[in-house]
Amino acid sequence: MSEHDEVRELLSLAAAGALDSSEEERVTRHIRSCALCSSALDDWRLIAGGLRRLPTPQPSRGMVERARAMAEIRFGEEAERRWNRNVMIFLVAFAWVLTLLSWPLVRLVSDGLQGLLDPRFNQAWIGFAGLTTLGWLGGGVAAVLLSIRQRRERRLA
Amino acid sequence: MGVESEVARLRRGDLDALAELIARYQNRLYRYLLRLVRQPAEAEDLFQQTWLRLAERIRHYDSNRSFEAWLFTLARNLAIDHLRRIRPDSLDEPISGDPQGETAAARLASSAPSVTEGIFEQERSGRLAGALETLPVVYREVLTLRFEEEMKLEEIAQVLGAPLSTVKSRLRRSLDQLRDCLEMRYPGENWQ
Repeated sequence: MSEHDEVRELLSLAAAGALDSSEEERVTRHIRSCALCSSALDDWRLIAGGLRRLPTPQPSRGMVERARAMAEIRFGEEAERRWNRNVMIFLVAFAWVLTLLSWPLVRLVSDGLQGLLDPRFNQAWIGFAGLTTLGWLGGGVAAVLLSIRQRRERRLA
Repeated sequence: MGVESEVARLRRGDLDALAELIARYQNRLYRYLLRLVRQPAEAEDLFQQTWLRLAERIRHYDSNRSFEAWLFTLARNLAIDHLRRIRPDSLDEPISGDPQGETAAARLASSAPSVTEGIFEQERSGRLAGALETLPVVYREVLTLRFEEEMKLEEIAQVLGAPLSTVKSRLRRSLDQLRDCLEMRYPGENWQ
């Protein structure tokens, strides 16, 4: 491909202001001596100028106001959702701490200080630990199911 | 007040900042969406959805990125999903072997009277806008981002999620096709 053909390929981008400095320099150098490319670049500039001057269609004020009102409501919903999630995380963490603390406490009450230090577990303690674990597992499954349902409802809304 | 401070205030929950951002971008965003989908009713619906999406995602916005590019990316993704649902073929880039470089959907669209053409008062602008509307969506969007939104190529690349080289070649092809379309529709016309 000749220099002329290569530069000709760059003319539309030159009018769009999309060339890098070396390409721009190349085009400028070439059009000084090539009337054909100079004229073609002018044509491209006319099109580019026309595109820049296209009138901007205006959205209706009512529609913009509706968009703003809807976005504000959604913004409030999102903030509430984040608050609810943070409260839930805090409550779950708090409940876990309480549960974990209750295990040695139950052991202390049922077997005394000696029982607390005893590495073996008695049946009452194992039963209590098993029940709380089951309770937590049940709660966890319910939370997951609820969350799936909420997501589905949000998607449908 | 700058865009960054409005965005920062919005992230802190200041709804006045939302109103300011909408006022700042309403015309440009609507114009961009209208160029993509061509139907005012669809553009209005997508305009509303874009601000809803922004309300949902603003906390995920990375402030190192250009807010403008991020906002237009949200709008673009919604518009592309919309077009994919209603006119899947309109998203295809023209096949290089096709001398006219048009997709079937773009051809169908070009035979119908232009909807936004009537909005423009000046005849030549209307013709240029009409020719623009006949281009495939991938070309329309790169032209509107470059010439109407006056975005830098890097920003356009962010919005499109494409490399800079792709943006450049797409811009060149879109201008070529626009010129071909103008010459075919209005032979001998001066576009000054």
